[in-house]
Formats: sequence, structure tokens, C-alpha cells
Amino acid sequence: MNILPTEFSSLSRFVEKWAKPTENLRTEQRISSSKEEFMEFYENTLPLLDGILEYLSRYPLGTLSGSDLCLYHLALSFAEMAPHAELYKGSADVPFSFEASRFVTIHGDEIDS
Amino acid sequence: MKGIAETEKKKSDNNYGLGFDPIDVDPLISEHLYKLENEKIFKKTWLKVARVEEVSEIGGFKVKKLDFANTSAIIVRGKDNQIRAFHNICTHRGNKVIPEEGNETFGKAKANVMTCRFHGWVFDTDGSVRSVPKEEEFESFDKGCYGLKEINCDVWEGFVFINLDQNPSQTLREYLGGMADHFSGYKYGESTYAFTYRTVLNCNWKVALYAFTEGYHVETIHAGTLPGLAQTIVHKDFKLFGPHSTSAVYSKRREGAGIEPTPVTAKLGGMLKESPIHGPKLDELPKSINPEKSDDFQFEFPTIFPNLVKHVCAGFSYPGLSYFTHQFWPMGVGKTVWEGTNYFHKPKNAAEAVAIAHVNALHRNAWLEDTGTMEDTFEAASSGVLDRMPLMTEELMIRNTHAHWHQYVTESE
Repeated sequence: MNILPTEFSSLSRFVEKWAKPTENLRTEQRISSSKEEFMEFYENTLPLLDGILEYLSRYPLGTLSGSDLCLYHLALSFAEMAPHAELYKGSADVPFSFEASRFVTIHGDEIDS
Repeated sequence: MKGIAETEKKKSDNNYGLGFDPIDVDPLISEHLYKLENEKIFKKTWLKVARVEEVSEIGGFKVKKLDFANTSAIIVRGKDNQIRAFHNICTHRGNKVIPEEGNETFGKAKANVMTCRFHGWVFDTDGSVRSVPKEEEFESFDKGCYGLKEINCDVWEGFVFINLDQNPSQTLREYLGGMADHFSGYKYGESTYAFTYRTVLNCNWKVALYAFTEGYHVETIHAGTLPGLAQTIVHKDFKLFGPHSTSAVYSKRREGAGIEPTPVTAKLGGMLKESPIHGPKLDELPKSINPEKSDDFQFEFPTIFPNLVKHVCAGFSYPGLSYFTHQFWPMGVGKTVWEGTNYFHKPKNAAEAVAIAHVNALHRNAWLEDTGTMEDTFEAASSGVLDRMPLMTEELMIRNTHAHWHQYVTESE
């Protein structure tokens, strides 16, 4: 379900782009994002991070469904992209690094739930 | 000298007995030396191929491709709970007993048998032949002689090692020597929440290994992802155990959560640091690691000859990270499979899993910075422009590996 729990509905516009169920899909999204996309997602989500963590801390892995699962996928994406906003000035590439698309993620197609 | 802890040498003893000369470049680029190292190192020494958790069930197997030896090893847990290793080669006409998907293949032997799809030979998970279709059509045939070709296999601290030599000159324990004592006792088996990345690098395996086994590069290469560590790193506690060596990274800790207290890392890393499961655990480190029990400890950092690097963090450094490994598998003189795995404790809820995903991403990004140098280094070595490379004190493990590499390769049978 692509709907967030009500208290996080202000982040709904990020769901389609960022709330992806596998690391590979999130990586694909991340390495093709623009500075504006990183910063918009980052700046709007950061103020809600405490609340998101508090919410997700009620759920052991494997027990999420519906809007809770959607929030989890959005939060994973946020956690994985944060360095691009905080450290790499909005660059989709890690500066001065190996080509990210050449890294094979062994667990990359497993669905996070 | 191999594998046996030498009398402890100090830096004052001519740089731990290794001297200060630059190392030669030829071992990184020579086809001839690549063939020699295959025979004398990779086919003679103990190589880590699995964790016991990867074959936790009776009948569970992992098939690991070993390009350098044109074979693959089946690592399988038998009915008697023993982990054994076999060549993935049917003893009839050589088909793969287990079809492989890429570099590593996992599965379970149903009813504890593995059946070759070519002619239907059936092997037990202990390697013996269970049945051969139309067995009576083979003249003077004793199927008892056609069990799978076994590979020497042993387990240390849950790490499964193989040795392709039919008669290894040392047991695994003898081979690891003082290294085993130094790293024993850490609860590796409790950290099963793992993230593995792999890539094929167009470089020699030693170029990749060397780039991951010194602390000198951290200040520059990791200024992007780990600026906090880059500014405060101290690389010390060097110890040599024959071909193996170890050292530790410390950091003059700042306020905030570990590596770099950016807002998200401070929040997510801080959550893991405060957790009794994921947080730093001084008491769980083996006694000889971080001997002064310093809170500035980041991780222990060894080279397990020839191709394994295993960092024990115990929740220091990267918040929540228990330990991580690198491995380097030669496919050719200029082609290497690199594998890196981060091991965490299982998250108790989805919030912890988010925090772990962040730390894992930071670390993966640091690995992208590391791997970024390797193909350039190999190309430069291949150009013939450099015939030697000078090393500084924090590059001591490279010096030790290189010296022992020479010893193995020049040693006669």
C-alpha cells in the first residue's frame, strides 16, 4: 500500500519516488537523483525523523504491513541517501569513487519487511 | 616460519625485521608470478570460504567458485553435522554436481543427496556415491572408488576454511598460529545480520588487498565519507604472526556519534551506540585487542594471509557494526573478485534496521572510495613506469604480506 500513516502524510509526495522495497531499487533511485531531489527529501524528512523512529520502534522486523511497511521503506531510503545530502553536497555519486553501479549487492533483491 | 608466531619483533628491530626498502612491483603484474602464486599460495594455504551460519542446516550447502583453480568447492553440512568440502565435479565425467549461479550458490541437499543432472549419479552429503544408474553396465566398477573429491576443510571460530592441497603441511590452527589466539573468543556467530557487496576489479588481487590493509589512505581517500575519522585516525598496535599481521585503528573521539556527527548519523548512529545489543562492548573484545581498553578504539585490522581481512569493531567506530570482512579472489593477473561483508547484530525492531541501513550505507560508500584507486594503481603498475613502491610505517602489513608472498613463491617444493 503506497500510503503513509496519517501523522507522516506530509511526506506522501516522496513515496512514489523513494519508498522502495529492496536495496537494489533504492540504489537505482539514489544514483539517478538530482541535488534538488536529495535536498528536498532530506530537508522535509529530517524534522520528522524522531517521530518516524519512535513509530517504527514498535514493530519487530517481519510484522510490518500496509502504511507501516511503506513508512519503513521510505525511512530506509532516507537512511541510505542521507550521506548524499550531508556529506556529498547533493551529488548522486560518492565523490572520487568507484562506479556504484559496478557493486553487486548480494542481498539487493530481497524485500525488506 | 610460516604460520608460527615469531618471537615478537618491535619497530626498533629494523622495522619489525622487515626493513625499510621499497617493495617491487613485478608481483602485481607478472603473468609468470601469477601462475606461481596460484600453485604455491592459493593451492597450498588455508582459504576462508564460508561462515558456519551459511550452512546452518543439515544438508545445507554453499558452492564457492574458485576461478584461480578452475574449480568450485561445495561446502556442505552432513547428517552427522560435520561440514565437509568437495570439488563440485561429478566423478563420472566432470559435470557440475550442483548447477552454479555466479560466484556463490546456496541450497539444501534434499534427503541429504546431491544428484548430477548429466547421468543421474547420486552422491551423499558425505561425498560417497549413493547410486549410479545402470551401474551393471560399467565393467569392473566399484562405485566406492568414485566418491566426490574431498577438499581439506576445517572451521575456526565459525569461519570455514579449505585447503586445496591434498596433504596440507599445516593444520588450520597451526597455519593461523598466533593470529588465531589474538582473534579467538569474539562472538562472531551472534552477528548474523549481514550485507555483502561484490565486484570484479580490473587489477591484481594484491593491489586490492594492499589498498585495504593500511591506514595511511584514510586521511585522504575517506575525507568525503568519514571526515571525522580522517582527521583523527591513529593506526598502531602492529603485530606480526608469520605471514599474517594485525593492527588497530583508534580515533580521538569527538562529541556525537562515532564517525561523523552529521544530523542523521548522530541520530541513527547514536541510537545504535546507546543500545545494549549494538553499542560498543569493550568486554567482548578478545583480551589482546585494544589492550588498554581505550574508548578511542575503532577496530582491529588484520591481514590473514593470503586473501582475508577481518575487522573486529564490537560496536565501536561505525555505530552498531560488529565486524566486517574483505576477501580478494584472483581470476587472472589483472582481474580480481572483491567481496566485502558488514556483520551486525539482528535489529530488534524496524527503527534499528533503519539505523543499521544508514551505517551500512556509509561504510559501503567508504568502500566505493577504496575501490576507486585500485584499477588506476594496476594500470600504473602495468605501465612499467614504476618498478618499486616506497612504504611508510602504517603500511607495515603490506610489507609483511609482500615479504611472505616472496617467501612462498620462491620456496621449492
